[in-house]
Amino acid sequence: MDKKAWIKYLMLTLTVVLGIIATNTKFAAASEEPHYVITTDTTYPPFELQDKNGKYVGIDIDILKAIAKREHFTFKLVPMSFNSGAQAVLSGQIDGIMAGMAITPARKLVYDFGTPYYKTGVITAVAKNSSIKSLNDLRGKTVALKTGTGAAAYALTIQKKYGFKVTYFNDSNTMYNDVALGNTVATFEDEPVMKYAIQNGVKLKVLTKPANSGYYGFGVKKGHNQALIEKFNAGFAAIKKDGTYDKIVAKYIGAEESTFAGSAKVNNSIWGLLNQNKSQFLAGIGQTLMLTILGIILATIFGMVIGLLAIVPNKISHGFASTVIYIFRGLPLLVLAFFIYIGIPSLTGHKLSALFSGLLTLTLNEGAYIAAFVAGGLKSVDNGQMEAARSLGLSYWKAMRKVVLPQGVKLMVPSFINQFIITLKDTSILSAIGIIELTQTGTVIISRNSQGFRIWFLVAMMYLIVITLLTFLAKWADKRFGNN
Amino acid sequence: MTAKVSVKDLHKAYGDNEVLKGINLEVQENEVVVMIGPSGSGKSTFLRTLNKLEEPSSGEILINGFNLVDKNTDINKVRENVGMVFQHFNLFPHLSVLENVTLAPVELGKLSKEEAKTLGMQLLAQVGLAEKADAKPTQLSGGQKQRVAIARALAMKPSIMLFDEPTSALDPEMVGDVLQVMRDLAEEGMTMIVVTHEMGFAKQVADRVVFFADGYIREQGTPEEVFNNPQDPRAQDFLNKVLNV
Ligand SMILES: Nc1ncnc2c1ncn2[C@@H]1O[C@H](COP(=O)(O)OP(=O)(O)OP(=O)(O)O)[C@@H](O)[C@H]1O
Ligand SMILES: [Mg+2]
Repeated sequence: MDKKAWIKYLMLTLTVVLGIIATNTKFAAASEEPHYVITTDTTYPPFELQDKNGKYVGIDIDILKAIAKREHFTFKLVPMSFNSGAQAVLSGQIDGIMAGMAITPARKLVYDFGTPYYKTGVITAVAKNSSIKSLNDLRGKTVALKTGTGAAAYALTIQKKYGFKVTYFNDSNTMYNDVALGNTVATFEDEPVMKYAIQNGVKLKVLTKPANSGYYGFGVKKGHNQALIEKFNAGFAAIKKDGTYDKIVAKYIGAEESTFAGSAKVNNSIWGLLNQNKSQFLAGIGQTLMLTILGIILATIFGMVIGLLAIVPNKISHGFASTVIYIFRGLPLLVLAFFIYIGIPSLTGHKLSALFSGLLTLTLNEGAYIAAFVAGGLKSVDNGQMEAARSLGLSYWKAMRKVVLPQGVKLMVPSFINQFIITLKDTSILSAIGIIELTQTGTVIISRNSQGFRIWFLVAMMYLIVITLLTFLAKWADKRFGNN
Repeated sequence: MTAKVSVKDLHKAYGDNEVLKGINLEVQENEVVVMIGPSGSGKSTFLRTLNKLEEPSSGEILINGFNLVDKNTDINKVRENVGMVFQHFNLFPHLSVLENVTLAPVELGKLSKEEAKTLGMQLLAQVGLAEKADAKPTQLSGGQKQRVAIARALAMKPSIMLFDEPTSALDPEMVGDVLQVMRDLAEEGMTMIVVTHEMGFAKQVADRVVFFADGYIREQGTPEEVFNNPQDPRAQDFLNKVLNV
């Protein structure tokens, strides 16, 4: 490529990225009513679940909608794992959390809660066929807890007394399954949620009476978004008074899930599931592809620059590049994603969209790997090539561009294709910061229909198909443009 | 007349290893200087300081009047005037033979693409490889590669040519063609500094033979003087070995 083509390429990429960031943030500017970003759990029926169209419903969601309508504000709902959502509120990324969050003294230190809206308690559940009769039977066994929940915190307070071990899950359905399959012997869960799950076919039974009873509350970061809390409280008082609240609760408690989520018995064949969830899967694949392709383009630019800095004969640039590679290759992708999405806004006070954070994460992490093999590839080009080019009077950069890079890039092609595939797979980790890509799409669909095996099979097939297509494309492009 | 190349008290060390220990040499326009000497004596190192592929530790180097040791000298400008031919050719494998030759004049804005092509074909004809213009370097024999490398260096119209054992990596039957090209160049009046073990070439073409040993120039003179009547014991010893195999 000559200089002009490179610049065009770069401009195009930047335009696309800026476009995405802009569309991502434009919601706030568009409406005159105050607009909030509110997180909820990906799955916590009956408080949050998806209806058959993939729309979120449930006690929490319906309450929130009723209040928003009365109090004249709009909100964007961002479903995330409970724990990530709770952190995102504290970092200022997200304005509020409505996710069946129990009001505890510890949480009151960092959150401000609205009027308590639902009374709850923690119960213990075991597999239907379990021989466990009381908490005393848990000694030495492992129980399943959901990360960051009040039920988990309660379990830990009695852990010493009953002598059980714990393991953690981010998602209720996976956790229930684990207990039902016997991998773990029991779980601690909020009463309404557990009862609702059992009523809807989860193969568990309740072992204990509700303990540690308390209330759910709508939370914001302490000292922030006070207007939102006031609106919530005013609206809540109103819907309590006029009976809307009771209607909402009655609608979900004691109801079969199929009322909202469609009959679970219909069409649970692979094709049926594929058809039912077509649009969600397509959206997930689209998001995954977008993250992969933009991610690899940005990572390639970043990696090329750092890789070049790593080989120029200059100690400072060399040290800088090595440090960058060391840090971003060393950090697990998930840690980096959380650090950028939750950590940076806590430090700077500026929100970063999940998509921007995700792309930045991919750019830095995949870019560090690319930088390492770019540097390696360039180093493996015989030094005589650089010397011959320099001896003709070409400058270092001209010699690099015209002589060393073309040969080095050819050596790097297999590594690039490999990194492309890795990037595609790594995008699934970004579901942790609330990006609904293909993996998260799978989680969300399963939370609705409990068809774990079949959905994961479909998701796996989709990854394989996409990877095959992308690999094919990359190899074709290499043949077509690489070896001229 | 000022010298094309003027080197004064040149030292070069790699860490503690002093490879050049005070070299003085002047090369006049049109002169052909052949450098001989045992392996490791510093011949290549010396040659490579003349176009600053190696940075000298101390001393003075003037090329066409440009002071190489001066940081303000634009080394790329100096190099345009100093062609170099390497033992291992170092052709650019991703480019065709003709593109190898035209790369530098086009990239450095000396010639348009068309002009460079014309010149390139002319130079390839001069080294007897016009019909290989579109071939890739990997399709050439060693001797052909080295002749392309010479054509590539000549494309910048240098006034000085440096050769570092241009025939050492070649099969014996290829050596003649390459030496013939160099002989032609010498006859046209090119200023040349050649490191080689080809004593026949030295006797025939060199105006001066310079003998290197242990980082010093131990002996220099006309080919007759150096080959027939060497004064330095090391030179006597070396010539004994290479001439009477
Ligand atoms: N880049 C380098 N780093 C360290 N030492 C070097 C380097 N290049 C050359 N030397 C050392 O400098 C000395 C002279 O090497 P040089 O290549 O100049 O010898 P030469 O006379 O060309 O030998 P030959 O006939 O084998 O090519 C050798 O001892 C060599 O090991
Ligand atoms: Mg040598």
